[in-house]
Amino acid sequence: MTPLDAGSVLRPSRDVRYRRIEDEAVVIRQRAAEVLVMNEVAARILELADGRRTVGGWIDALAAEFDVDRATLERDVLAFTAELAAEGMLEPADGV
Amino acid sequence: MGTTRCGEAFLANPDLFPARRAGEPWGDAVIDLVRRFGAYCREGGPPAARADTAGVESLVFRAAEADFRTIDVRGWEYALDLDAAPEAVRLAGLRLVARLDWRPGLCGALWTPDGGGAEFAGIFENFCRVLVAYRLLERGGAVLHCAAISDRGGARLFLGRSGAGKSTVSRLALARGLTVLSDDLNALFPGGGEARPPFVEKLPFTGDYGDSRSPSPAAPLAGLYRLAKSEADSLQPLSRAAAAACLLACSPFVNADAHRRERLLANLLALLPAGPVAAWELRFSLGGGFWPILNR
Repeated sequence: MTPLDAGSVLRPSRDVRYRRIEDEAVVIRQRAAEVLVMNEVAARILELADGRRTVGGWIDALAAEFDVDRATLERDVLAFTAELAAEGMLEPADGV
Repeated sequence: MGTTRCGEAFLANPDLFPARRAGEPWGDAVIDLVRRFGAYCREGGPPAARADTAGVESLVFRAAEADFRTIDVRGWEYALDLDAAPEAVRLAGLRLVARLDWRPGLCGALWTPDGGGAEFAGIFENFCRVLVAYRLLERGGAVLHCAAISDRGGARLFLGRSGAGKSTVSRLALARGLTVLSDDLNALFPGGGEARPPFVEKLPFTGDYGDSRSPSPAAPLAGLYRLAKSEADSLQPLSRAAAAACLLACSPFVNADAHRRERLLANLLALLPAGPVAAWELRFSLGGGFWPILNR
């Protein structure tokens, strides 16, 4: 997979199902039969990963929704996104 | 089922897995297991007209000994092999193959070379465990791998993976004079809106503790506890999402079914009303001194 940056466009992997429950999300990884609970920001990132918006677009949206320093937000979102991609939970929208 | 075929561990030829509910019946005996969720089992013989259309009919067919592999079970952890599809669930295990079909209502079929005796009882119970899990899914509830402990205030469910402490909590509960419904599988049903909370009903499946034979009235759900062994006793609230995830992880068979897992999650969320939920992580020590904090 190409390295992640603010221009990357990602979507949840095909075996990932999630449901928002109040401020959190229950995430099911179908193949691994694994259940995870994600916090408010992580749940919002899953929502923003719609296969159309860039990661930079997610950061813009999150910056508008949360009271957080922009540089910190960028660093954290990119790191967390890379973690989700490495775990196979997000994949490039173009399949690359 | 990944790279293996369903039943490969158990069957001499998994390609011959029964494709439909047909075969040589074991006999014409009939068993009706009637619980709160309706009659749901029938053994042998042709289907008959039934007044209880909400029941689940299962047929038991004769299978040949040669259909099953001989397995050395010493030191072996037994797990049924399930293969779920939108229209059917296939399962295989020690001396059994079975199907659950939706036509459109749920019905079951079991093939085994054992027509009676203690071994048949175990085979039939394993089949019933799966059947009941899917039956409860259809009724808006769930079968949960948990210890259920009741007193006059209702039933508390203690959940966790193997080794988390369900049997330990059950043993401690018995020592306090409480009732253990089961330390293995219990049923959670929807209540009747805000006025009636979800309720817990004993199933005839127990592990080391609980009496699978005697009936027990349904009890209102008094709390959910995710177990964690610890040096000290404490109670931490769980969010609704964390409680739902815990219940999902403890819903055997159906939580491994990719075609029905989301329906299961929907059931579980309906069982957890919006707002504060009576769900906690219980960190407990083996001394059993945690009971008073459950009532805070």
